[in-house]
Amino acid sequence: MRPRASAVLIVVAVLSLAVLIGCQNKGAGNTIKIGVITSLTGSQAAFGQAHKNGYAIALEEINAKGGVNGKKIELDFYDDQSKPDQAVQGVNKLVDQDHVPIIIGSYSSESTRAIVPVVTAKQVPLLIPTAVADNIMQTGSQWIFRLCAGSGDYAKSTLDFLKNNGNPKTLAIVYENTNFGQANFNSMNALATAAGMNVVDTEAYQASSPDYKSLLQRVKGKNPEAVYLASYLLDATTLMRQSETVNLNPKYYTSAGTGFAIAEFPTDKGAGKYANYTYSVSQWLPTAKWAGSKEFDDKFFQLTKTHPSFHALQAYVALIVAVEAMKKNMTSPAAIRDQIRAIDIPMTPFGPIKFDAKGQNAHPALVTQIQNQQYKVVWPPDAAEAKPIYPTPTWAERKKKGEL
Amino acid sequence: MDWLYPFLQAVLNGILTGALYALIAMGMALIFGVMRIVNFAHGAFLMLGMYATWVIFEYGHVNPYFGFLAAGALLFAIGMAVYAGLVRHVPVQAEFMIILLTLGVSLISVDTVLLVFGADYHQLNFALLGKNFRMGQISLNAPWLISFAIALLAAFALYFFVMRTMFGRAARAIAQNPYSAPLMGINIHRVQAVTFGIGAAAAGIAGGLLLPVFYLYPDVGHLFNLKSFLMVVMGGMGSIEGAAAAGLVLGVVESLTSLYWGNEWALVVDFVLFILVLSFKPSGIFGSQRA
Amino acid sequence: MKRPQVLIGAAIFLIALVIPVFVRNDYFLQVIFRLFLFATLGLAWNLVGGYAGQLSLGHAAFFGIGAYGLALLSKGASPWLAILGGVVASMVAAVIIGSVSFRLRGPYFCLATIAFAEVVRLIAKNLPNVTGGDVGTPVPSLFPQNTMMSFYYACVVLTIAAFAINAWVERSRFGYYLMAIREDEDTALSVGVNTARVKLWSLLLSAAISAVAGALYASLFLFIVPDPVLGIELSVEISILPMLGGAGTLLGPVVGSLVLETANEVFKNIFKEAHLLIYGILVVLVVLFLPEGIVGTLMRKLRWFKAAPPPAFAATPPPGPAEESRRVPLPQPE
Repeated sequence: MRPRASAVLIVVAVLSLAVLIGCQNKGAGNTIKIGVITSLTGSQAAFGQAHKNGYAIALEEINAKGGVNGKKIELDFYDDQSKPDQAVQGVNKLVDQDHVPIIIGSYSSESTRAIVPVVTAKQVPLLIPTAVADNIMQTGSQWIFRLCAGSGDYAKSTLDFLKNNGNPKTLAIVYENTNFGQANFNSMNALATAAGMNVVDTEAYQASSPDYKSLLQRVKGKNPEAVYLASYLLDATTLMRQSETVNLNPKYYTSAGTGFAIAEFPTDKGAGKYANYTYSVSQWLPTAKWAGSKEFDDKFFQLTKTHPSFHALQAYVALIVAVEAMKKNMTSPAAIRDQIRAIDIPMTPFGPIKFDAKGQNAHPALVTQIQNQQYKVVWPPDAAEAKPIYPTPTWAERKKKGEL
Repeated sequence: MDWLYPFLQAVLNGILTGALYALIAMGMALIFGVMRIVNFAHGAFLMLGMYATWVIFEYGHVNPYFGFLAAGALLFAIGMAVYAGLVRHVPVQAEFMIILLTLGVSLISVDTVLLVFGADYHQLNFALLGKNFRMGQISLNAPWLISFAIALLAAFALYFFVMRTMFGRAARAIAQNPYSAPLMGINIHRVQAVTFGIGAAAAGIAGGLLLPVFYLYPDVGHLFNLKSFLMVVMGGMGSIEGAAAAGLVLGVVESLTSLYWGNEWALVVDFVLFILVLSFKPSGIFGSQRA
Repeated sequence: MKRPQVLIGAAIFLIALVIPVFVRNDYFLQVIFRLFLFATLGLAWNLVGGYAGQLSLGHAAFFGIGAYGLALLSKGASPWLAILGGVVASMVAAVIIGSVSFRLRGPYFCLATIAFAEVVRLIAKNLPNVTGGDVGTPVPSLFPQNTMMSFYYACVVLTIAAFAINAWVERSRFGYYLMAIREDEDTALSVGVNTARVKLWSLLLSAAISAVAGALYASLFLFIVPDPVLGIELSVEISILPMLGGAGTLLGPVVGSLVLETANEVFKNIFKEAHLLIYGILVVLVVLFLPEGIVGTLMRKLRWFKAAPPPAFAATPPPGPAEESRRVPLPQPE
């Protein structure tokens, strides 16, 4: 019996100590806090980590230059545990308890969609770095500003590209059964049908499965000219490798970015040579022509020994935009909101930043193709750096040519 | 004949996946059979096995097809430690508290890995991964085949260990009657500790074999955890051969569901099948009456 | 009043009702809202998992059906009617789940409830035309201003109701039947308890309370997606809190939720990414050293708690030959 009693004491002691420490969390005088909500734990922790690194790099740069108006910036993180209700709790904490004048976040579309009504009710501006689902901007809130292009833009760019390059008639959509995948499926399905394409097959899949061969066989059976995939990195790799196994040969492998658009995908840490010829919509790449991209890539590599995904860069730029908007007034959320509206930064590593009346940044969704394990922009024509190669050679042809 | 090749291909794919499922489930079935523990940390053990294999590939450049052995050894030690340090001390009848305990172990493992290795996804890349054997329209991927073969060997080894050795006899004696087993001179704690270790090692080895064809991140065990519950129950709780058979069945069923209905329904079919088995044959599809 | 647990509960609720007078901080209100939401769910779970001793790990299904009931049915009706619809749907689900699961015992039952909840979750994901799928679906507001305060009060009231139901069950014939089933189902059956019906009623009651909680939760956030309201993580949380607090006790679910949810929030703010590690250690410590849960163990220690019925699991003999505990040869004398 005695160990039990002492354990009660231990538990109580740990708890009360924790509460004590928690209560002594006072902000220092000469800093200004910016609220950040992201997913540090839970199923989306990998992307929350990318966010965190992006914010860290931006923070260091900003404070090295002396912060804003002589005040150092401090980031006030709230972990939403990859859950929407926790993200809402985060907004309440950051606004009601920590009194931050602006919030950046969250990572995922579902968490971001959940916090829109709260920031609107609390009248605090929200900068959205990475959430692509279209239903976020459809809320019509006057307090939200999105840096990234949305899923509708992804579909539109891809369809424009296809129409002007061989004009395939049939399309199969393969998407992971998550918020990200379904949002992209909805956009593509609607827009492709409207554009006169025949969507011959739609396949949702359970993300993070080891085996997609049967699914790919189904796609093969429908014989589409083009395939549109919405996947995260590792499923993208699995899908491409297994496409070779089942010998699926569409003329175009197109994709809704993300897994197909991050630096690791065409390298040995991703699909490697299997990534060749795939098209993807891209928000950003380390090789982007926008000034500062290379510098960010270098800094990120120093910090983590890996190349950044666009999530990290979007977080980085979001913080820069927030600080820019705080230069005139750093305490009033309404004033900061007006400043974000008026913002017009001609060049960031994420391109020019300017929000329209709905709060959407006019970020171009580029179409890239991986050629010889390098991303090349192939669409729109004014940004293109290479000609697209189509139709995609069959796996057998690629084997014969020694490309695999 | 258009339908034949896709069907055959899907069945073969299902068997390859199913063998890995089977190995995972056998470990859980062993623990359940001997100790009646529903082990929620099994997925975490699998994840630890994957990380161990990955670490020695990444830093020691050891091929995962040898590295899995180290993962097995490590997980054996971890399993023994979890039993001796934690499971053993929970009072006998508090069987639900054991579930909580294993949940706690799972949380601790996942978050420790998250802190040490970060939340990033990792995967292996070596030349073998792209190798396919083709026979007519059927194609099989080399690393899947190798993982399958080793998993099969490991499964047989486990089976013979339990069925043919002194230790296995002792473990089965405890499974049959925990009250009289010690009277026969069986050191019940030692046998149970080894059993727990072997169960964990099976998950660790399966993790090592899964790594080349899959990828890893701290939360990766979650999905396999649920699936192994299904297999253990469908195989007849505590029957390791039943669990193995259920693993193969589940692999094939998933693969065929993906082919004929859609991948997103595969998991639904898994669960519905499971509920049907429970409703009509609670002793498991392959269950003897010994449970 | 001979029931100190009822008195303590009443005191907690009184404090809860007064808190908003002093605290006008939505964050604190939401954290406490969450504590009481899980206290409600824990109390609902307690009817089945605590008194009847049937460990359900699928309660997210009832919660989620309540949430989706409000979201989907309110498209054609008033939100309050929609909540009622959600409750009915949840009870229908309980009948289906119960009719299969209750024939099973021990771990079989537990895994069956997981399977049912997973099927519900996957269906919600896979039928985007009906449920909105993972893109989510909007939920109407129950209160005109949709303030945190209104939800806070609604939740406390709901918790009080769930607590009252538990208090009643604990002293009713129905409750004694449940406890008889927990202690030894075969004996209960042999003395004429219709165990199937009694268990089903407890699940129905439990499902109804959970569904109302789900609707409340959904309405607060005005928007839901399947995984957070139907996932196994939620089911585990619903069962873990009352078990650690003391399953089969009146105060257990409330204390479990207050202590552990507070711990979770505080750890998150202090330890950042490491908070789950600390939480896991806390869970393991409680299991090792307070195997009957916080309230269960205290009850044993303190005399004046003795009036209450015995705690659930520690005193439970093995239900049948199939479910015998295999870890240690002989029951330890207490």
